[in-house]
Amino acid sequence: MTLYEVRGVSYRYNHERHGVQALSGVDLDVRKGELLAISGPSGSGKTTMLNILGLLEQPREGTVRFDGAEVSQLSERERTLLRRERIGFIFQTFNLIPVLTAYENVEYFLMKRKVPGAEARQRVLQALEAVGIIAQADQRPNSMSGGQRQRVAIARALVRDADVMLADEPTAALDQATGLAVMDLMKRLNRERGVTFVFSTHDPRILAAADRVIQLTDGRVSG
Amino acid sequence: MKRAVVLVRLSLRNVFRNTRRSVYALTAVAMGAMGLFVFMGFNRGLMNQYRANTIRARWGHGQVYVQGYRGKAHARPWEMWIGRPEHVMARLRALPGVVDLFPRLGLSAMLVSGEQSVVGQGEGVDGIAEAGFFDQLNYVEGGDFKDRPDGIVLGQGVAQGLGVHVGDDVQVVTRDRKAAVRSAKVVVTGVFQTGSQEFDSRAFRVPIVIAQRLLPTDRVESIAIALSGVDGWPDFARAVKAALPDLEAVPFDELDRVYYRHAVDWLDAQFSFIRGIILLVVFLGIFNVITMTVMERTAEIGTLRACGDSRREIALGHVLEAAALGLLGGAIGLIAGWALTAGPLQGGVAMPPAPGITRSFRIFVELDVRDALQVLSLCTVTAAAGCLLPVWRATRIPIAEALRHA
Repeated sequence: MTLYEVRGVSYRYNHERHGVQALSGVDLDVRKGELLAISGPSGSGKTTMLNILGLLEQPREGTVRFDGAEVSQLSERERTLLRRERIGFIFQTFNLIPVLTAYENVEYFLMKRKVPGAEARQRVLQALEAVGIIAQADQRPNSMSGGQRQRVAIARALVRDADVMLADEPTAALDQATGLAVMDLMKRLNRERGVTFVFSTHDPRILAAADRVIQLTDGRVSG
Repeated sequence: MKRAVVLVRLSLRNVFRNTRRSVYALTAVAMGAMGLFVFMGFNRGLMNQYRANTIRARWGHGQVYVQGYRGKAHARPWEMWIGRPEHVMARLRALPGVVDLFPRLGLSAMLVSGEQSVVGQGEGVDGIAEAGFFDQLNYVEGGDFKDRPDGIVLGQGVAQGLGVHVGDDVQVVTRDRKAAVRSAKVVVTGVFQTGSQEFDSRAFRVPIVIAQRLLPTDRVESIAIALSGVDGWPDFARAVKAALPDLEAVPFDELDRVYYRHAVDWLDAQFSFIRGIILLVVFLGIFNVITMTVMERTAEIGTLRACGDSRREIALGHVLEAAALGLLGGAIGLIAGWALTAGPLQGGVAMPPAPGITRSFRIFVELDVRDALQVLSLCTVTAAAGCLLPVWRATRIPIAEALRHA
């Protein structure tokens, strides 16, 4: 079953004096339940590709189908709703809300789903348990390590039962051991829960954990 | 509901996310709120003193006349004076809020003392009744004539013009309706100063009995009204219209339109302008802080939007945060304003004589719950308004670009 069908996608950043072609005619399929890595050097278009998959950017050319539906030209509101309901994000710099505890950071994004209180609490605790951070539930991000913060970020995406989790360099801000532990966590969630992961990295040790690796070079799929 | 609670909680916690900046913002709002609160209290004190002075020096809370008499010239004005005044006063006394009534009869007369004479505009008043209520007449010499049925009190300018003092004789000379000259010899019991130079240079008061004898008439021109409170005037006026339709009830601010009403309007306009400046300072303080705050949180806004928060929800969160800042800063400012009033300003503020006024005032700052609520509302709304533009701008940044600010 295919989750994403990307065909002929191009994207160009328009700066004041010159433009930068970030993606050129990219074709890509992402299967449900897959742990897919997008690899490539800096400036190869990894982040742009993830932004397009996450409906944060709209391709200048080409089409993106998500679970069978064309999504590349949706309105702002439609894209917001789709992201809210079906797409989870994990960021390199964690991007947690500093004034909320780990529990509240995870809970915050569940609130929009109008999940009843008891069930929401159960799901938040389960998500924190699943990423091994339940003991830090009442801590705020600034009192947690980088690995713990990233686990909270994963729990934040996990709690919503998103169809896919898009992770842009999720281990880049972590030391090697912590990065591998986070990767192991993603892999375990992929195996045990069937969560689809698409992540970008240029770390070969992290790439080894992926089911499949897409290589991007100068905005084109090169392998 | 739960979502709203989380949003409010997040906004409140964000208020103290950057302590130093929040302290700066709170200080800006608190200073503005304090200034506004004390300023409004000062304004209220000034207005109340001015109003009390106007009511208790001359007009009462208002006066009643025969319908159509006031404001027009009449060939035979005495025909439009209030007849059977005792009967009318008995009916007026039964109306809501009435505490006391003071019949009056105006007369123009020449006041003569020795070789000096001054043309004055006087009133015949019930000296005994008026002595209790009209306590703002501000006698600079002597006092009222409640104990002297042949007494007269003079405006300071009149007394100076005649060169008389308390105890001196003055001849009141006037013409009756048949142009016959009539006069009465009276004794100066007091010299007053209302603060209005123009009034003080021509005004005098004699017992109404003397005025009626001079004109001569058994009628009164008007009846001044003392109510239990100034707020009771509308009810009283309605009651007069219903019970005594031949009479017209005119409030003091209408009677003293030129001085009181215009002065109040003028001061109100000035206060509104100053209030606007204070609010602008609050607005700019909040705008500056929120702009910096929002710039710092650009990546967070990108994250929230990436995870499904709409622009409106994000803007609402920031508006709540700014409103909380405004509310808290406003509350601190109110406390500071109260402390300032209860402390250094407890003895009032010495003011020089106002334009057209010959005596100085001491204004007491009168804080009021309504002012406090207004200050809180203004601070909250101003702070919320101050965040709108920076938040609007921030939520317009493309998400991917916002995330790059991390």
